[in-house]
Amino acid sequence: MSILEYNGAAMIAMAGDECIAIAADRRLGVQYQTVSCEFQKLFQINDKTFVGLAGLATDVQTVAQTLKFRNDLYELREDRKMTPKVFSSQLSALLYEKRFGPFFVEPIVAGLDASNKPYLSGMDLIGAPCFPDDYVVSGTCTANLHGMCETLYRPGLGPDELFETISQALLAGVDRDALSGWGAIVHVITKDGVTTRELKGRMD
Amino acid sequence: HQHPTIVIADNHQSMSYLQIQRSLQNTNGATALPIHNTESNGLNGSNKHTISVNYDKSTDEQTLSDDNHIIDHGVTQNPYERGFSPYEFNGGTVLAISGKDYAVVAADTRLSSGYEILSRNVTKLHQLTNTTVLASAGCKTDVDQLRSVLDIRMQMYEHDNRKNMSTPSVAQMLGNTLYYKRFFPYYAFNVLGGVDHEGKGAVYSYDAIGSFERTPFSAAGSGQSFLIPLMDNVISHKNRCDEENRVDLQSDEVVEIVKDAFVTAGERDIYTGDAVQIMVITKDGVTEHVYRLKAD
Repeated sequence: MSILEYNGAAMIAMAGDECIAIAADRRLGVQYQTVSCEFQKLFQINDKTFVGLAGLATDVQTVAQTLKFRNDLYELREDRKMTPKVFSSQLSALLYEKRFGPFFVEPIVAGLDASNKPYLSGMDLIGAPCFPDDYVVSGTCTANLHGMCETLYRPGLGPDELFETISQALLAGVDRDALSGWGAIVHVITKDGVTTRELKGRMD
Repeated sequence: HQHPTIVIADNHQSMSYLQIQRSLQNTNGATALPIHNTESNGLNGSNKHTISVNYDKSTDEQTLSDDNHIIDHGVTQNPYERGFSPYEFNGGTVLAISGKDYAVVAADTRLSSGYEILSRNVTKLHQLTNTTVLASAGCKTDVDQLRSVLDIRMQMYEHDNRKNMSTPSVAQMLGNTLYYKRFFPYYAFNVLGGVDHEGKGAVYSYDAIGSFERTPFSAAGSGQSFLIPLMDNVISHKNRCDEENRVDLQSDEVVEIVKDAFVTAGERDIYTGDAVQIMVITKDGVTEHVYRLKAD
């Protein structure tokens, strides 16, 4: 089994009309044994930026802590909040520093920039980014998630429709993957704030 | 002093590469590791070209004198194995969905090998009877052979029993045929669609060695992961709270869903594209549609 599939994960981030949604499952497993149904994989960096980390759980937590540290330092030095684009570049550089002994995480970044325009990026474990304008996925069941998102996604969805779309995509995708699922959480970010909802799904 | 990089043989005879190496090592006093030459352990048992780590120069002279210029590359003296796999994946995706009184079977028409496209117009669908269609992805030659075997066995059934095979019987026969080759399987991922003897839609999914089950829908091939969760959501209505919206789907609605599904698979799977062939099977027969997909 690949090291990136050791703990199991599934996450999606989607862009809507001046809003974004980011969703992830909550399972933590040790190969096929499930250990926790409350494992956090989505981390809020500031009001308008979220990062999702899929991969080896120890690296998920280490990278999350390192990113929080870097963000705090940036805010102290620059006296302003980090935009998602800067955050994504920092994360990419952080991962590439470890080019020959990488962190086993494949992150996705979602946020609203200064003019409330959605920003999405997804990276591999050594920091190679891509910046699609529709959706990004990561985890152990990316094929399932791509199939769902590619079919269900439409541009210009409002916050509620975006929530429905991303939830259906995530639930259908993880139900066909043994290593992900066991609960799901969705954050919808608009210029007015963040709405967090937990999804009721199959606990198997 | 001899120049360290040019070695001239004393008697002006040509020296083999390994002899030159050895001389260099002697000259430069190198205590390098021996060049373990796998090529040299011939069937005749001599280690002609192995350079021994041997500080006693006298034993070196023995191997120097047997000057054998043949470079073996390990292919003339020993038996060797090249990597040969009898299987190859020719790509493609197949999908079948059952309805109240119809079944829809669809497949893309691309044939590929590695990163190359061999053909944009090869069918993966095979109509076995008036009410059954087999769709297979995998290795084309195995798929073709499997179809021939099924056709022959079906003819025998029709001669023996004086009736056409029903879909559940075809399903069982396909399962058995695959299991005959349990220890050298057909590299064929099959999906069978048709109407059963009551006129209801039937879809059966298979693995490569004949395990099968009747299911509401099935997908196989390189794009199956993209399609199956979508079918779960749209056909089986899983994870949905709007039961009041759930109606029995008509065959034309399902054809639209299938078209969307193949557009998705064509976008995200490199082996799927060019066109999708959709067959709708009812108790009255089979109708076919072909739709273009992206050719990239």
